[in-house]
Amino acid sequence: MSSSDKFPAPTPAKGAEATPPGQPMSMGQHVVDKGASMLQALTPVKQISQHVCTFALYSHDMYRQIETHHYVSRLNQDFLQCPVYDSDDSNARLIGIEYIISDRFFEALPQEEQKLWHSHAYEIKSGLWVNPRIPEMIGKPELENLAKTYGKFWCTWQVDRGDRLPLGAPALMMSPQGVNLGKIEPELVKKRDDKYSISTEAIMQSRVEIEEPEWINPQADYWKQHAKGFAIDIEKTEMKLRAPIP
Amino acid sequence: MRSCVGCHVYCIPLPRVALHANASSLSWQLKTLHGALISLNQLLSNHKAMSNHAQVPGEPTETTTSLVETATGAIQGFRPIKQIHEHLCAFHFYGYDMTRQVEAHHFCAHQNEEMRQCLIYDTPEADAKLIGLEYMISENLFLTLPDEEKPLWHSHLYEVKSGVLFMPRVPGPIERHGLDKVCKTYGKTIHFWQVDKGDNLPLGLPQLMMALTRDGQLDEELGRDVEKRFGVSFEKERVKRAELTGPTHGIHPLANGGGKGLIPKLREVDCKPADSVPRVFV
Repeated sequence: MSSSDKFPAPTPAKGAEATPPGQPMSMGQHVVDKGASMLQALTPVKQISQHVCTFALYSHDMYRQIETHHYVSRLNQDFLQCPVYDSDDSNARLIGIEYIISDRFFEALPQEEQKLWHSHAYEIKSGLWVNPRIPEMIGKPELENLAKTYGKFWCTWQVDRGDRLPLGAPALMMSPQGVNLGKIEPELVKKRDDKYSISTEAIMQSRVEIEEPEWINPQADYWKQHAKGFAIDIEKTEMKLRAPIP
Repeated sequence: MRSCVGCHVYCIPLPRVALHANASSLSWQLKTLHGALISLNQLLSNHKAMSNHAQVPGEPTETTTSLVETATGAIQGFRPIKQIHEHLCAFHFYGYDMTRQVEAHHFCAHQNEEMRQCLIYDTPEADAKLIGLEYMISENLFLTLPDEEKPLWHSHLYEVKSGVLFMPRVPGPIERHGLDKVCKTYGKTIHFWQVDKGDNLPLGLPQLMMALTRDGQLDEELGRDVEKRFGVSFEKERVKRAELTGPTHGIHPLANGGGKGLIPKLREVDCKPADSVPRVFV
């Protein structure tokens, strides 16, 4: 079982429809949800403070590119954590998680770890990374900081492959870059721009003054220097036990 | 506690507050230190979980950053996040090592009656680390999975019936009504942040996690700690949940790793076509 499997075996879990299979929510479940949400604080989720729309590519197959919706919460000035969805609708599918750290903490990581991360400078300067519905002048002060960060993004539901349920091993994702395999297909960008009535091109022009980081670590965006991506395989092994399974 | 570089006052990095801004007077510094000590005391005595709460490295959030995020928070709709309606607490262990167990706070949204998607945090607090996610599906949907996929999913029957999976603060009758459904579902859990190892950043490979399936698996000390902090009793709940039933067809033999451990491995693959990637020397 591998993140790079082309197509999992044909089953009802694969199909053309976008929505996951399953019955609509019952009234009983609505009542439980309502009760729970009135009594439970849901505090960690309330820390989510930004919606970012951008793009990502599969590390093991960079021809596969997706639009992503990150819901960002900040733990401190140097660290962000984001559940990632395939759209901004209420029925959006949770497709993975991205973590974002500032450059000084990225530099302290072991090289083997750095290979799993990607840089954000191009994504931000090119206007691909946007905060939908936020005027550019509000979001801009933070973009110079964000342009120096690195991200680690695991995708757990390969919806672009047609999976109606989350199948297989998690896949490592990479960020858009300005060279060959890292470039995002114009149709994908146009579709996003039309939805939000924005122009990525115009946004790029307005971000010209944002400083390029002086240095982008060559271990990040590993494919650029090494022409290699990464896949995850899930293999059987002996379980270390403290009681029988299952 | 960390020493702030700017003014050498010990401060706790709290969300959205820069305790150390513009510090100059001695009285201000003393007040800040006093406040920090109170906060530290609270952290240590109240909801400190057994899992290692290694501090995420970084400076406290700056005011300008906070302002931008207050604006985005006010203007943008967060529709996928607004679907999150319930908080479940349970335990996971690593797919290849049952002795490594993690308290897991699930914040769940329904895609429909038969599928939930959950964000998993290490605590229910504001500074909680987002350590993973879980998908939960009905038995019907589980049966549609390819056979090679089924081992990656675990059953929930034992966790619910034994009382170790619970919904903090929700009264028993409502909780039991909700858990009646959960009992029959299967989950797929991936963790990205190994907080039990003391990692202060999400390092390494994604970890497929498993759930408890019988008595004797749960680390007793971890269990007692959770019971104490959340004011619950697993044994008492077990009795009240005796009527709940599991999947109609019983627990599928391929679920729960099919009785085996499962471990992730990283593999390099060629970018295709390799020639299209000229070496870029930075």
